[in-house]
Amino acid sequence: MASGDSLRERIDGALAGQSARTVTVLSSLLAIEDELGYIPPPAIEQVARHTGSTINDVWGVASFYTNFRFTPPGEHVVELCWGPTCHLLGAQQIIQAALQALGLSEEGDTSDGKISLKYNTCLGACSQGPVISVDHKVVGPQSLGITGGDAMSEHVAELVSRLRNGSS
Amino acid sequence: MASAITVVIDGKEIVTQPGKTIIQAAMDSGLYIPYLCYYPGMKPFGACRMCVVEVENARGTPASCTTPVADGMVVHTNTPQIQDLRKGITELIISEHPHGCLTCHRTNLYGADLCGPEDICQRHVSVTDRCVACPKNERCELKDTTIYVGTGLTTPLTYKYRELPVVTQDPFYDMDYNLCIVCGRCVRACEELRGDSAITFTERSGISLVGPSQGGSLLESGCEFCGSCIDVCPVGALVESSFKWEKAVDTVSTTCPHCPVGCQLKLEVNRRGRVIRAIPDLEAEANRGQACFKGKFGLEFVNSRSRLRNPLIRRDGVLEQASWEEAISLVAEKLAEYKGDSFAAIASYRGTNEESYLVQKFARTVMGTNNVDHASNLKPELARPLQDALGFQAATNPVWDLDNASCILTVSANVTEEHNVAAVPVKRAVQNGAKLVVIDPREVELTRYATVWVRPRPGTEGTVIAGMLKVISDEVLENQDFLRDRCENLDGLRNSLWRFDISRVATVTGVPEDDIRAAARTFAGSGPGAILYALDTVPASERTACVEAIIDLALLTGSVGSPHTGLYPLRPGTNDQGSWDLGCVPDLLPGYLPVGDADARSVISEAWGSELPSGAGMGILDAFEAAADGRVKAMMVIGDSASYHSGEMGDVFAAAGNLEFLVVQDTFLTGLAQAADVVLPSGTFAEKEGTYTSLERRVQPLRKVLEVRNSNAMPDWWIVCEIAKAMNAQGFDYHCPAQILDEISRVVPLYAGVSYQRLLARESVLQPAVMPAYPLPSQLLPATGGQNTGIQWPCDSTDDDGTSILYRDEFHAGKAHFIPLEMREAPALPTTDDFPLLLLPGRVLHQSEREMEITLVGQKNLIQREEMLCIHPSDASTLGVGEGDAVEVVSARDSIRARASLSEQALPGTVSVTTLFGSLMTQLESSEDPDAMSHVPGLPPTPVRLAKA
Repeated sequence: MASGDSLRERIDGALAGQSARTVTVLSSLLAIEDELGYIPPPAIEQVARHTGSTINDVWGVASFYTNFRFTPPGEHVVELCWGPTCHLLGAQQIIQAALQALGLSEEGDTSDGKISLKYNTCLGACSQGPVISVDHKVVGPQSLGITGGDAMSEHVAELVSRLRNGSS
Repeated sequence: MASAITVVIDGKEIVTQPGKTIIQAAMDSGLYIPYLCYYPGMKPFGACRMCVVEVENARGTPASCTTPVADGMVVHTNTPQIQDLRKGITELIISEHPHGCLTCHRTNLYGADLCGPEDICQRHVSVTDRCVACPKNERCELKDTTIYVGTGLTTPLTYKYRELPVVTQDPFYDMDYNLCIVCGRCVRACEELRGDSAITFTERSGISLVGPSQGGSLLESGCEFCGSCIDVCPVGALVESSFKWEKAVDTVSTTCPHCPVGCQLKLEVNRRGRVIRAIPDLEAEANRGQACFKGKFGLEFVNSRSRLRNPLIRRDGVLEQASWEEAISLVAEKLAEYKGDSFAAIASYRGTNEESYLVQKFARTVMGTNNVDHASNLKPELARPLQDALGFQAATNPVWDLDNASCILTVSANVTEEHNVAAVPVKRAVQNGAKLVVIDPREVELTRYATVWVRPRPGTEGTVIAGMLKVISDEVLENQDFLRDRCENLDGLRNSLWRFDISRVATVTGVPEDDIRAAARTFAGSGPGAILYALDTVPASERTACVEAIIDLALLTGSVGSPHTGLYPLRPGTNDQGSWDLGCVPDLLPGYLPVGDADARSVISEAWGSELPSGAGMGILDAFEAAADGRVKAMMVIGDSASYHSGEMGDVFAAAGNLEFLVVQDTFLTGLAQAADVVLPSGTFAEKEGTYTSLERRVQPLRKVLEVRNSNAMPDWWIVCEIAKAMNAQGFDYHCPAQILDEISRVVPLYAGVSYQRLLARESVLQPAVMPAYPLPSQLLPATGGQNTGIQWPCDSTDDDGTSILYRDEFHAGKAHFIPLEMREAPALPTTDDFPLLLLPGRVLHQSEREMEITLVGQKNLIQREEMLCIHPSDASTLGVGEGDAVEVVSARDSIRARASLSEQALPGTVSVTTLFGSLMTQLESSEDPDAMSHVPGLPPTPVRLAKA
């Protein structure tokens, strides 16, 4: 019960903390996703109340966007860019390496809840491609001091394994 | 009104108005353009693209449902390009919609025979795709449209069945999303037509569907179970769960028997003579295509197996079957012994005008007494003051006038449950920016929509309104023009208002001063408004004063005599308005002529050729009291009523047991019937003709939907006539209700121009479109012509179309008369030593601040929630109840468990519990009562005591 209360409080905090002048259903959902990493069931109610709409309208918006998730994410969120630039620079290899290292067949959460793996259409860092992001921080050959997709694949496989084993 | 413009559609010149869309203009002139997501009355949506057309000199192929007409526009609806596009669209749709029904040679394309239930499907079609697996088989708009468009019998695209489970756990509804084409009609109906938004679009693109939040249950989504989404669904995705697979052989339009809104319903009848579905009439002015849970799902009682089939006579204490001759002659013989004031007659709350008229004529001319009333007349004060102040004891404006009101006040009225469809325009008005002031000690559905919710101590509602009058007067918020031109005795009112010092009003009512000011400023500051009142929580002693204050408020703000304003007394019974109009009350003869007035009596007595009693009669409340103490010895009671079971009249059944002779006419063996000496089986509303007068004075016909089956039940008007004739009475030789209505129109000037033939001629003309290529049986084409309007009285002659809004030019006495008000102390709460607290029950569709859980019990969803009891800290400390304690709230009838919540906002001496509409729906669906919808308990304040649980 205590954790449930604090969850509601965190949601209320996120709702109240929106600084933009136009508070909408969408901005509220984004604020919650930023705070918690996902949209928990009570958040639908709280957003409805905060914005003066109904739970059904809020759910219509929330379920429309595939980037909202409704279950808690893993401890670390790894996003693999598969946009056109990264694709040409070897993203497929990186994706395969990461999936293999984590024992996944497609994007999703590892069974131990350590890592949520997501494909991303563009992380907006094409000049540094091929890139991934780890907990919303972009990681690429440049930041790792390496060159080429092959080296990147190895690094990513190693990186996600390390993340999973608890040392970052 | 903007000037007319001309467009040419398929070579036909059409005169129409700017602002209409192409599809509307086409339909108005009888031209058909295929459509799926379009629906009359909803905003343009343009999702399905089925209605694409070509417009000369315009780019592309616009959707005709979203493109407004322009002067000189030339439109083609059926070019080869358009036909091609439409085929493509239907191919896409049916690639995700089971369509075995399209590919079968037996499909009912040109009147071929359909498979029966025993036939084996011999085609290569999977079970899920077969026509018999679709509840809308042969009444599907998609199928008809596909055939009309001329798509081949299958799609060249890969067909995908979604394999979604059929949802049957919620009350009354079945949802098969495998059949959904995501046209969005249901979502838009819920939002735009009803103002509820209980369902939404979920997900997006290929997997987008409709449904409640988080895939949950309708019970928790704020659904009011009106069935509007079912009515608009073009396919089999949303259907009524009962009689889901049944096909109609006949459809008859009639009036709903459940409440005085007078919704027009099209009842579908199957070949076994059962009422299988009710579809609200889109073209009826009373309900504009809307219905509620009662009308949509509460007509099953007509088909009930537990209906009475034969007259019953009590012999040696046991009710035994008898013939009509025996029963009628026994009743006639017995009643002859009780002529005069030892007899009382109580008509049914859902009796027709003709029946109410006959019952009072019978009581007065045959039995020689004014002891006559109707079963739901427990608040006779509700409209009475309107007569002296304004002219008529009735609502001034039509219900749908509220749609465009700028401000609405409700006074102690649970509109969403008791008069559901009247709440629809209220919610819509609020969505469009109207202000809503709710004065109610209870939390009702409309309090969620309220701009200001004033929560007075029960019984002081009138004092709150007087306080508002004082604020309006002090702050000069009156409607000056209206006061000058149309009112008199303003000084009389003003001189009485000085007593209503705002701090004193606040003390008496328990409402903070600022709330009273806010209510007054909101209502008076938003221009003339409308006032709806039912006075559910106002005790009898306070009702007249409360209605007088309401009238003063309406006059002071100029809220009478113009559109989108008005006074709406919300009477409880289906035909209460008609019963009052036709003198089925103790003190008034037909046409509101006072019984005590010798001149008035002579008018009626001349018309009837019979002497009339002059003594004061007893109403229903007095009659049962007199039965209990032996002054009334014989009674005739027609129909059951919620008021007999609610305890408002004391122990009715004990009083009935005290009678020497009781004859009951009813459809079921109800509580009173079980106490009767003779029980006469009556037919239901669906089996008889007649008229109802709705709360907006609209006289509408009941049509005979079906014959009485396997039963000797007879309509109540026939029974009353037979009894009267057996007592050798003159003036009861009627062979049909239309003949009785003819007599009413001669006797009652308000009804002078009303006749059954005239009412029938105003039937809806919404007819199936007849196309040369293919008749579309399921898709309707609203043609031009009359509307299903009924006739609103006063209607002076057969040339008169009736009166939509009363007092447009003048009041009964020229000017309206302000009524001076008295400052009244708060009446004592109706509690007892055993039950010292007053429970103010509340009910809402949705409560966002409270958690709940939906669990599956058996096959059905059920709300599991711990209720919260709101109690004032002073009462709580007296009782030793602390915050969060589990308590049991015990009334004389039942008990509820709840957790205590202490709040300074609670009124001392009262406690409140707010339950959910969803719980009521599960109760109603599982009820054993064959006519549960007519016994919905409502939200009466109830004396209770608290026990620790």
